[in-house]
Amino acid sequence: MQVPNSFKLALLKQMLLGFQLSAVSSNSMSFHERKNAIKLSADAAMVFARGSTRWTRGLVASLSKNRNNEDLLRGILGKKYERLSLPCCNSWKIPRSRKILKRCLGLCSRRKKATGTQHDVKSSSTLARRLVKKRIQVLKKLLPGGESMEGFSLLDQTLDYAVSLKAQVDVMRRLLKISKASNLNLHLKEEEEEEEEHAQRH
Amino acid sequence: MSSRRSRVSEEEINELISKLQSLLPEARRRGGGRASAAKLLKETCNYIRSLNREVDDLSGRLSALMATMDHNSAEAEIIRSLLRQ
Repeated sequence: MQVPNSFKLALLKQMLLGFQLSAVSSNSMSFHERKNAIKLSADAAMVFARGSTRWTRGLVASLSKNRNNEDLLRGILGKKYERLSLPCCNSWKIPRSRKILKRCLGLCSRRKKATGTQHDVKSSSTLARRLVKKRIQVLKKLLPGGESMEGFSLLDQTLDYAVSLKAQVDVMRRLLKISKASNLNLHLKEEEEEEEEHAQRH
Repeated sequence: MSSRRSRVSEEEINELISKLQSLLPEARRRGGGRASAAKLLKETCNYIRSLNREVDDLSGRLSALMATMDHNSAEAEIIRSLLRQ
């Protein structure tokens, strides 16, 4: 699954805007300040590119918790910032979809007639169910806004988020590669110019 | 088993699960055999964690690089070459 090129382009543009707004090129920032500004720009840009969905709202909510981030968030998201900050209602799909989801994942125990014998060893399906429950809790913490999601919504948003994250990584990798090349190019040009000047004087 | 029609069909869920599986790095699975739910969830969580780590790492590297760049001229060049593609 891939995002369209328009997504990556929008992400890149807003990220570069973020760099400008937070003046990452200035000398006055520490390494960590710059790194945080870059990361924040990247996240806000990703939200901008994706638009309104549950995880983007969740991400805006958590990024907004830090007051220092507000200016940059507004700068990158513009009008979207207000819209993404509104609380969203819970999905109707939740109760039924959870049961179907569990069935599809092979988690529901089949109904058996009461036999009267005691099982003191937990069946493997019970253990599987427990393990899945545990891992779902982990997933909820990883997904922005995941705590309020269940069943189908949770998985659907997870897929959406993962695809967007991958795009974010791709854009940043490309930017890094080109920045390095550009930087090298500039240094080489400077060296050339210096040599020329030196040669002209002698 | 409910005889009512539900809002989210089994088909939709199976499609979602297979999309998730194909997204994950070690998704190649020969033959039928659907992965267990537990395994799918574990690999999904690992995948998201690794992507987040990578973003963090790339942010650091970009930070180090930007410190040494003459940003004005470099930025124009970067934007030009990126938008060309």
